[in-house]
Amino acid sequence: MSVAHKTTPRTPHDIDVSQLPDYSFESRSPLWWGIVGLMTVEGTVVATLIASFFYLQGNHAVWPPSGTTPPDLMLPILSTFVLMLSMVPVYLTDRAFKRGNAKPLATLPILSIALALVFLGIKAYEYALHVDFRWDSHAYGSMVWLMIGFHSTHVIAVILKTLVVIILARQGYFTPDKRIAVTVNGLYWYFVAAAWIPLFMTIYLGSRIWNE
Amino acid sequence: MSMHPPHSSAIPDPAYDAETRQLEQTWASPPGFFAWFTHVNQTNIGMRFIVTGFVFFLLGVILALLMRWQLAVPENTVMGPELYNQIFSMHGITMMFLFAIPVMEGVAVYIIPLMLGTRDMTFPRLNAFGYWIYLIAGIMMYIALFLNIAPDAGWFSYPPLAGAAFSPGLGLDFYTTVITFMEISALVAAIELIATIFKCKVPGMSLNRMPIFVWSILVMSFMIVFALPPLVIASLMLALDRMAGMQFFTAASGDPVLWQHLFWFFGHPEVYIIFIPALGMISSIIITFTQRPIFGYIPIVLSIVSIGFIGFGLWVHHMFTAGLPQLGANFFTASSAMIAIPSGVQIFCWIATLWGSKPRMDTPMLYVMGFFLIFIIGGLSGVMVASVPFDMQAHDTYFVVAHFHYVLVGGALFPLIGGVHYWYPKFTGRMMSERLGKWTFWVTFIGFNLTFFPMHQLGLQGMPRRVYTYIDGLGWNQLNLFVSLSAVILALGFVMTLLNALISLKRGKSAGDNPWNADTLEWATSSPPPSYNFRHIRIVDSRYPLWSGTGGLEQNAVVHGIRSDRREILLTSILESHPEARQPLPGPSPWPFWLAVAVALTFAGMMLHLAIPLIGFLLCFAAITGWIWPRSGRAAA
Repeated sequence: MSVAHKTTPRTPHDIDVSQLPDYSFESRSPLWWGIVGLMTVEGTVVATLIASFFYLQGNHAVWPPSGTTPPDLMLPILSTFVLMLSMVPVYLTDRAFKRGNAKPLATLPILSIALALVFLGIKAYEYALHVDFRWDSHAYGSMVWLMIGFHSTHVIAVILKTLVVIILARQGYFTPDKRIAVTVNGLYWYFVAAAWIPLFMTIYLGSRIWNE
Repeated sequence: MSMHPPHSSAIPDPAYDAETRQLEQTWASPPGFFAWFTHVNQTNIGMRFIVTGFVFFLLGVILALLMRWQLAVPENTVMGPELYNQIFSMHGITMMFLFAIPVMEGVAVYIIPLMLGTRDMTFPRLNAFGYWIYLIAGIMMYIALFLNIAPDAGWFSYPPLAGAAFSPGLGLDFYTTVITFMEISALVAAIELIATIFKCKVPGMSLNRMPIFVWSILVMSFMIVFALPPLVIASLMLALDRMAGMQFFTAASGDPVLWQHLFWFFGHPEVYIIFIPALGMISSIIITFTQRPIFGYIPIVLSIVSIGFIGFGLWVHHMFTAGLPQLGANFFTASSAMIAIPSGVQIFCWIATLWGSKPRMDTPMLYVMGFFLIFIIGGLSGVMVASVPFDMQAHDTYFVVAHFHYVLVGGALFPLIGGVHYWYPKFTGRMMSERLGKWTFWVTFIGFNLTFFPMHQLGLQGMPRRVYTYIDGLGWNQLNLFVSLSAVILALGFVMTLLNALISLKRGKSAGDNPWNADTLEWATSSPPPSYNFRHIRIVDSRYPLWSGTGGLEQNAVVHGIRSDRREILLTSILESHPEARQPLPGPSPWPFWLAVAVALTFAGMMLHLAIPLIGFLLCFAAITGWIWPRSGRAAA
């Protein structure tokens, strides 16, 4: 159609979009929908892991299987607290940027990364020295180690991703119209942190409530 | 395979103005072998998905013929049980994973942006990435087959048979690792289709004016987002069972039935993931070939959406013989029956649309008619196997083989072949031969029924499926020979379709923009579409924009101000499609290919050593960084 009618005169109903911005934020941005889609996919994985955990529990008279003690609560509560805290600098950075202040972007997320590294450190210490089962000991061990491995991989990934954001910020890449990239990185950080809560409850509380 | 810009004729065209030249230059895909790995335009990628999907389909057909060769006579020695197991497993893996999902996505990727009236999808590079993942996965599976180490525990790979103890060797390692990363391809395509359908509808195309095919792809995409992650994680768990000594599905501590739940929680929605796009194709074809608005647009859309929901409540009917509690089985029998309601609503809406019309009985419409008959037979045998007592008897027999081929071939493949005939003029600019098409339809239709209908009888006589041979004297000889000979007729039908498509590429009648006088926007541009899809973006004022009363789309207002000196699309609001912003898009890039290689290495590397995924993880990170790193001040999207 179109090519043959290049000379179509402008009608009064034509619209001109050249004045519209060439960037968009939040649910107006495709990137936002993309990250929501990714979080939905990964959230479904988390739900599948948790469902599998309780399904396998149903097959066992005692859970964790006898001879295995569920992991201690002290360290994981501490590490969960650290991980939740790591969301705060991410939130503050995004809020400042929304108000037009891009400065914290080059520094503040480093704090989040540091906290996430502490979280990983505690996890490594806990699982290297303080659990009395391996991933191949029994189904319980396999489930717990897979959940920990799955989540830790995501923490490492979001740390690396945030590092890239910081480097780009230091190069002055983030002008206000590019804020959506920072927002979705923040969203993903919240997701990785929030996904830990149901995993934490499953691993540490789900291992106890039905057996005592 | 790549689509060339259509305006290469030597005749000077007054419409070939400066802006058109600018658009062509901006949206061009660079030529050359190495540049081929960088293409991102949706029409290129969509066509690659479709062509690759049909190549795998033909491979799957060859595997089916090999099986029928082996089964033609009792105690045949064409192949031994080891090879037969690989071949029947690869037939299922090919048809479900390497053909059905990717080809439906391919059609969606090609057609959806055109139907929405936009110039590309929201994440073009993600599209390309999905294609490379799929291609690498498919090639890996077939390398395994040619090395005689293909998976041999069925496309469903139930442990404990698929576990390390009973299936040592690389076959199941290929299955678990490749399935794990291959599904990333479907997931990224689904997310991208959702984002594109939400944000890229042309102004005026509010949600209630969206073509039914777009609705069906939207529902398919949502189903993929929720159905495939359980498969991804389950196949990873099976891989870890096999390679790291973990115990998810072992009889010792884990539970093999857990695998069945996770697999069918994916596997049943999967049936609808390939069936729902087919429903959308049927609606498109019926609208066009009756030249009428569809009867009951809203009931049809609601039916598609409710099938999307109910489709998640059926998985256990694949597991009736696994010894589950009766109460659960009752629930799943009921929901299996319930899905007949929305399916029935659609069929009645189509009948009402056809009623009293004089449908143009061209090849696409014939395949829709073939769908009606075959799918209804498949539905009837479905009602039979949905009842637990009957299923107990029939489950491991050829009755079920007949049932699901009636459902899948009737429900998905026939509409798909109809859809290929329907959109072929848009893909290539030429018509497929109508005469050959009609002959082909009858050969395919008759060949299909002669092949699969007798299998009901074989099943009722007790012939077990997935077994490489049978002994003489059980009364199965004649029907098996008959089925094997009929399979040749069916395969001939597919080959005739292929020949028709290939010959028409050069010799077909020139199609023009809209050869069927169809109603949707993909027919409002040249055939094949230019790399930028539309020269003018025109506002839409009805559900059937090309038929609207004011004299068709030509009279409609134009959207000005979308830049042509860089790749740019218009973003609109979800419900009402008001213009909101312009979105610059990235151009050709090699990073999707490299990321796909890194992802494949990460997962397939598990087979060789469990440390390789760690290296792969870092390579993936490097590729993603290369991907998002801004170039010359351009936005990273």
